[in-house]
Amino acid sequence: MRDLPSGPALLALALDVLTNELMLLLPEERRPDALLVARCMVIAQREAEVSPEERPAILREIEMLCGQGVDALRRFANDLRIGAFEKLQPRERAARAILWRLTIAKLRQSNPKFLADNGVG
Amino acid sequence: MVEITALSRLRGGALQENWGLDARFSGGAFDGEQRLVLRASAATGIAASMTRLQEFAVQKAAFVAGVTVPEPLFASQDPAIVGRQFFIMRRAHGIVAPDRITSDTALEPMRPTITERLGRELARIHAIRPPRSDLAFLAPYQEVGPAQQIAGFRAYLDRHPTPRPVLEWGMRWLETHIPPAVEPVLCHHDFRTGNYMLAGTALTAILDWEFAGWGDPHEDIGWFCCKSWRFARLDREAGGIADRAPFYRGYKRESGRSIDPRRVRFWEVLASVRWAITALEQSDRHMIGGERDLDLALTGRRATECELEILMLLDREGCPRDA
Repeated sequence: MRDLPSGPALLALALDVLTNELMLLLPEERRPDALLVARCMVIAQREAEVSPEERPAILREIEMLCGQGVDALRRFANDLRIGAFEKLQPRERAARAILWRLTIAKLRQSNPKFLADNGVG
Repeated sequence: MVEITALSRLRGGALQENWGLDARFSGGAFDGEQRLVLRASAATGIAASMTRLQEFAVQKAAFVAGVTVPEPLFASQDPAIVGRQFFIMRRAHGIVAPDRITSDTALEPMRPTITERLGRELARIHAIRPPRSDLAFLAPYQEVGPAQQIAGFRAYLDRHPTPRPVLEWGMRWLETHIPPAVEPVLCHHDFRTGNYMLAGTALTAILDWEFAGWGDPHEDIGWFCCKSWRFARLDREAGGIADRAPFYRGYKRESGRSIDPRRVRFWEVLASVRWAITALEQSDRHMIGGERDLDLALTGRRATECELEILMLLDREGCPRDA
């Protein structure tokens, strides 16, 4: 049980104060830094909102492809390095689908506009 | 006799410190008021960046070759002066802000002309060929070609705490599609929107020579055109400012050589991998090097944008519907 307002609600309020009130009081040369602060807060906000199920689901897909065990993501990366999936089309296609999902999931948090600008997601 | 009349840190330059310097010279070749830039190494850096004395030599070679570059004047490695290596060049005037350059509607009618000029500038840089005794510190092309670059990226990822499957997939494609070697030329290696200066519609400077080295001329073309450097206009494939046609035309007119689109594609994929690795290295300067800098800390996140571009360039089937 946590006190209210929640962390995400406080973050949203802080972001509003920063961009709509404090930013205007800053000297011109420090405003780019304030924009970077706002960007960090937005990323933290999005990351806090991500479903706890999303990442384990991708990891399960990787384990289906590379076998269960520790550090599935690194084993997947190493397999891609040596072209381990290239000779069997269904596995190659499955590997590519995972790459898209990993990338889209990360960009939804750090830069959803970039996804939209590229017509993806 | 020299008197410093103004000194202020200039914005930009993630890897080096640039200081605007106004000086009053009494007598000699520089007699009178001079507007200069002092360029010194930052506290932390990344592996691919050269020293300031080397950058001074490269910039001098480019200046002599007729490239639009601020004239480099003096260089020093005496630690008693500013504590590290530095050089001084003339200060060009204009803007470098890439978001502004790619979105400013006032530039609209002149965009093809500016882009063609950039193609010509790049061709002038590529007219500098080895061997050059003044550039003897540059690694031979056989040591910095695509296979060596891929090996370097992999070695970096092996040390990095987070695996990057998309980069591994992209590098596998690169290693199996390396084009035949060509006669090397001087490549700028960071020739892009954000590293040239415009005063109105006039090009006034090509900047940031710290990554220059011998390479395939298509390497610079792929870097200039890759999506990471299009800023506000992803649809304008030549640096976010125009189509490729005027850029390629300017290059061909100046150099007399045609551009091979297949080689450009290879180098464009490599550009996305290279920028992803550089972004992670920049973030390391904050995460590992202890440099307290929000911009550096956030730059690491851009690696995933490069990964999306690698997927878009190489996956002919495109994004799966259920992704």
